[in-house]
Amino acid sequence: MKRGASAVVLIVIAVILAAALTFVANVTRDRINHNAQAWIQVRLDALVPASLHDNDMLTDRIDVTAPDILGIPEPVAVYRARQHGQPVAAVIRTIAPDGYRGPIELLIAVNYDGTLIGVQVIRHKETPGLGDAFENRAADWLPKFRGRSLTNPPQQRWTVHKDHGDFDEFTGATITPRAIVKATRRALELFSARKEQIFAAQVKRQP
Amino acid sequence: MTTDQTLPALRILALCPALALSDTVVNALGIGVIALLAITVSSLLATAATRTLADEIRAVSCVLILAAVVGCLALLLNAHAHELDRSLGIFLPLLIANYVIQRCVEKSSTAAPVQAVITAIKTGSRIALTLIALGIARELVGRGSLLHDAALMFGDWAQRFDLQLFRADMGFLLATLPPGAFISLGLLLAARNWWMQRISRT
Repeated sequence: MKRGASAVVLIVIAVILAAALTFVANVTRDRINHNAQAWIQVRLDALVPASLHDNDMLTDRIDVTAPDILGIPEPVAVYRARQHGQPVAAVIRTIAPDGYRGPIELLIAVNYDGTLIGVQVIRHKETPGLGDAFENRAADWLPKFRGRSLTNPPQQRWTVHKDHGDFDEFTGATITPRAIVKATRRALELFSARKEQIFAAQVKRQP
Repeated sequence: MTTDQTLPALRILALCPALALSDTVVNALGIGVIALLAITVSSLLATAATRTLADEIRAVSCVLILAAVVGCLALLLNAHAHELDRSLGIFLPLLIANYVIQRCVEKSSTAAPVQAVITAIKTGSRIALTLIALGIARELVGRGSLLHDAALMFGDWAQRFDLQLFRADMGFLLATLPPGAFISLGLLLAARNWWMQRISRT
């Protein structure tokens, strides 16, 4: 077969396969979205108990873009909790861009007064056994964020021990806790700076 | 002589990308089944496309087919077994780079459909069994459990399969880390060689 003919055959195969892949992607899209929503819902319920709010946090969600505060160009999702229309708390779904092996996705729940309810890691690629210690060996590490705020500890101590801060690191891993602490502090800064706008913003209709 | 010695060596190297997935039995089983599916479907597609393929583009087309099939399987896994996808999802594309799978699909493109499917199932099962053996060894040593998180794959009724044989807080950490995969693989190969020698002696 001539060179040109081979190229054409190859292109045809590639196009057919791409079409098949697109088809499967279309068929599964709704289900995948639905799964992701249900998955987030479970985490939201775990962070902000249903007794504290009477709205549907999952749909009461806005996107906030704040590269100046968060240090990431992407918009982050903010889920809002309200009781009788009054703001109660917000869950910020942010990213710690400087994990040891890539970004760490976090859910950070903040009371309206700016104190932390909790921090959850929802996706990460940290080294098993070292950087992922918050999942097992140091399972008591993430709960320690509860009750912290921008004034507790003061700003210059909002980092790990190694950087003269108030937070432990795990044995064998400094970069992971440092990244999580930093992302949490930034999320708190975003919340305190934009609290009113965050709760006033209207939910965008899904197209 | 060189081919006799280099081929097995290549096969062992080919396992490397898959080793990341063998830290628990459930993960190993999951990726093993997906590998078996991917290799069978790809081989079938490759033999179906044989007549239109020129020799010089056969290998490339086979990789394309394999990539598309693995891509589809990844989407389906995400849609129908979301929790399993959370632990396996990011590793699935590694299957495309697997030498044994690529080679098998490429061979199938010149074989008759039935033969291609039989070869694919054989190769796929071998990969799956190796991964599961590694998974059993690593989970047992590293975490002291077997079939932990079986519920992810089979639904809640499978929780009874979750065996905690001994309480290991972090267990023997090395076994769950990537180097543990290589050490386990080495031990597995040693056991296999020992067994083969024993058979040939008697």
